[in-house]
Amino acid sequence: MSNNEKLASKLREIVGEANVITDPEKLKALAVDGLTPQAMVSPGTMEETSKVVAWACAEKLAVIPMGGGTKMALGGIPKKFDILLSTKRMNRYNDYDIANLTVGVESGVSLAEIQAKLAAEGRGYFLPLDPQHTQGATVGGIVATNDTGSKRFLYGSHRDYILGIKAVMPNGDIVVAGGKAVKNVAGYDMTKMMIGSMGALGIICEITFRITPRPDAEATLLFPFNGLKEAAGFLKKLLHSKYYPASLELMNGRMATDLNATAAMKAKYVAAVALDGIEEWVARLKTDLSDMGRQEGASDVIVLTADAHRDFWIAYRDIAGSLAKTHPNLISLKANFALSKVPEMVGALEAGLQEAGLEGALFCRAGNGILYAELPLGDDLGSKAAVVVALIGKLNAEAVKNGGNLVVERAPKAVKEKVNVWGQTRSDVVVVRRLKEKLDPSGILNPGRYVGGV
Amino acid sequence: MERTTMIEALAKIVGKEDVMASEMEIQLYGYDASLNRGRPDCIVMPASTEEVSKVVKFARANGIPVVARGAGTNLSGGSAPTQGGIALLFTRMNRILEIDVENQRVVVEPGAITLDIKGAIGKYGYLYHPDPSSEKATTIAGNLGENAGGAHCFKYGCTTNHVLGAEVVLYDGEVIEVGGKSLDNPGFDLPGLMVGSEGTLGMVTKLTLRMMPKTEAVKTMLAIYDTIADGANTVSDIVKAGMIPTTLEMMDNLTIKAVEAAYHVGFPEDAASILLIELDGLKDGMERLTEQVVEICKKNKVREVRVAQNEAEREKIWAGRKGAFGAVGRLRPNYLVNDPTVPRTRLPEALAQVVEIGKKYNLPIANVFHAGDGNLHPLILFDERDKDELDRVHKAAFEIMKICAEMGGTISGEHGIGVEKLKGMPLIFSERDIAAMRNVKKAFDPENVYNPGKLLPAEKAA
Repeated sequence: MSNNEKLASKLREIVGEANVITDPEKLKALAVDGLTPQAMVSPGTMEETSKVVAWACAEKLAVIPMGGGTKMALGGIPKKFDILLSTKRMNRYNDYDIANLTVGVESGVSLAEIQAKLAAEGRGYFLPLDPQHTQGATVGGIVATNDTGSKRFLYGSHRDYILGIKAVMPNGDIVVAGGKAVKNVAGYDMTKMMIGSMGALGIICEITFRITPRPDAEATLLFPFNGLKEAAGFLKKLLHSKYYPASLELMNGRMATDLNATAAMKAKYVAAVALDGIEEWVARLKTDLSDMGRQEGASDVIVLTADAHRDFWIAYRDIAGSLAKTHPNLISLKANFALSKVPEMVGALEAGLQEAGLEGALFCRAGNGILYAELPLGDDLGSKAAVVVALIGKLNAEAVKNGGNLVVERAPKAVKEKVNVWGQTRSDVVVVRRLKEKLDPSGILNPGRYVGGV
Repeated sequence: MERTTMIEALAKIVGKEDVMASEMEIQLYGYDASLNRGRPDCIVMPASTEEVSKVVKFARANGIPVVARGAGTNLSGGSAPTQGGIALLFTRMNRILEIDVENQRVVVEPGAITLDIKGAIGKYGYLYHPDPSSEKATTIAGNLGENAGGAHCFKYGCTTNHVLGAEVVLYDGEVIEVGGKSLDNPGFDLPGLMVGSEGTLGMVTKLTLRMMPKTEAVKTMLAIYDTIADGANTVSDIVKAGMIPTTLEMMDNLTIKAVEAAYHVGFPEDAASILLIELDGLKDGMERLTEQVVEICKKNKVREVRVAQNEAEREKIWAGRKGAFGAVGRLRPNYLVNDPTVPRTRLPEALAQVVEIGKKYNLPIANVFHAGDGNLHPLILFDERDKDELDRVHKAAFEIMKICAEMGGTISGEHGIGVEKLKGMPLIFSERDIAAMRNVKKAFDPENVYNPGKLLPAEKAA
């Protein structure tokens, strides 16, 4: 039996014939940065996942986990890739406790599914998470990549909402971190360690989230501006106010055009502010923020409610996914920086794009200090690769200067090979590496794709 | 190593006057607010990151344990040097280094007092939300070490949700930065791991905290009940109605009596329970929400609801809550307080069992609890000179942890494991879970320099 056959037969033994794919054509479509796995396996339970991983560990086979497959572009080029492990069949609700505002779900459940289910409960509930890829993304993938959305301004992010994680460690051990208590200081907070760890330390199989009552009222205000200074100034004023809207977003004209949200938005910049709360608060915010926006130089105020409000944010969250469909060479960048540096970072990005002769859709979480850029490069990468590599270098330096870093979330392999996709190495990489060495001494989980090349 | 040699070497690093080693000082820095005692070989008060790093390098080279200490208010033995060594006292490093209003961050040294930080940023109109009851005395790095909570966690979370970055001295003296002023720094969430690690992973020499603009309006209410269940049911109904108050705090009759005797805040001494509720947000709609809360209280047979009409009335209500531990402490020479957490809906059941455990071991137990979080604080009252009573106290405390673990809760919500709850760890974690945590410890501190014997049960010999 060849190694390849041995692997397939072992995997079939663990998860059953129907849940292993070895057809080379099908596997080719699942390649990560050009590397094709020997097999794709879809365990149905945490126990099956544990068996697969324990065996892979013993055989020193590299495993890459995948949920909905929406963010496989993230991370460094894998050092090795033997088994693609899909979490999608782990899709049960194990501890669905609405009265306590907690739900424990398996990682393969899609966020869209859980939101629909929670919305239908009693007065209506939701997970206050609004990351990219509204349809395909699973909660496991969202948490493993720490993908967050604009409402984190009001509600916080995964680290504020996840109470416990069950994971399969690189040696196959099933490990429970945290629990369902909202306050928990028993042992190390390994739950936090797993969030955003991209499966480098373990495969997330079950997550216990805190859920939130749906707001009584919701709306969106759009403010077109002609100048960056005015748009950023308005959002800054709002950030330091007592108003606490749900989102504080700034986008450039290209993003507004790509969203095709409303004809009235033909402006160089648009501030998008989502409002969540009781009726009285949302009514007050509409009035006060409209006044404030006009005072700060907005040429108009557009109010979106009901379907228009909902559709706007779905399109907003799906922008990278929809651009990627038509632009195979799409570059997605994410910069983080100190809150006050919005104009500096947006300005630097725009200048860099202009100099490189490129265009892009920019959107910025002005209340969190995070900037996303989606750069469609066209079909022919060719000479543009070098230009993009230079641009990434410049932007990285700018982000570091402003107290943050730059992550290349998506790029063709030719670009990935020439940049550090996780940005400038920080002093804490020493602990990142030691944690990886201790918890995954054989380096079988996602080798090469995480920070520090681990 | 000879103790005198150690003291001389350390004096060379931090200065003679910043090393303490008298018998009185050794006793003074040997305990915390729990029942656990230890004896440091000496107490060292560094003034800078560089000094901390040098002390740690020296300790590591000579196999001496290093135990971080702040104000010594912690409640699980975490800062008691139970294996001797150097008590590293951070009270000299207590400066507020930078109030960065523009970026909504405050950068502080580890020994800064929590309430002092709040006062300093309050002047600019900003809040740091975590509020452990002892915040007048606690140091911020102590809050980090234990992931301190408080009475506003239901809406705003605990220390871990507000610490965004730290400078950390590793076991070998290397200084690293984890997190920072900006969010989402690439790499594992090391600030998240440091918070609640009880000084076992690294020495924190600088912290970056989130500060948030003050909300426009606050409403504080006090509801008085004839049973505990009515108060607890009110909490469940408020949550069911879709409200997220900042505070849902309760206390039982024994606590009410003690608080009233100590502070005269106007609590009726015959009440079975008192529920403190606080809402915040924009002023619009606040009256309606308050009325809605009062209606829910009435539906649950409340005897009386008092709504604070001004800041003075609000402060009076809070003084009663914040002083509860101190007031109960006057009743008997000692108390032991636990902090297990259960899913909120199981609170009435957990409290009833706590009462039974008190009866079984013939011990008075006063209860103060963060009802919104399902976080109990049974204060078991006793006299430590009575050895039989002390023995019963430990048994009762363990049983309380056990029933909470069985209800799907945890053994510590905000005070940490330290040494006191080591025996409870297997109640909630398997040997494999604990093995993974040991690997975390070994990744940070492979030579066990920092706070040995805390947080993780001893490894069984192979």
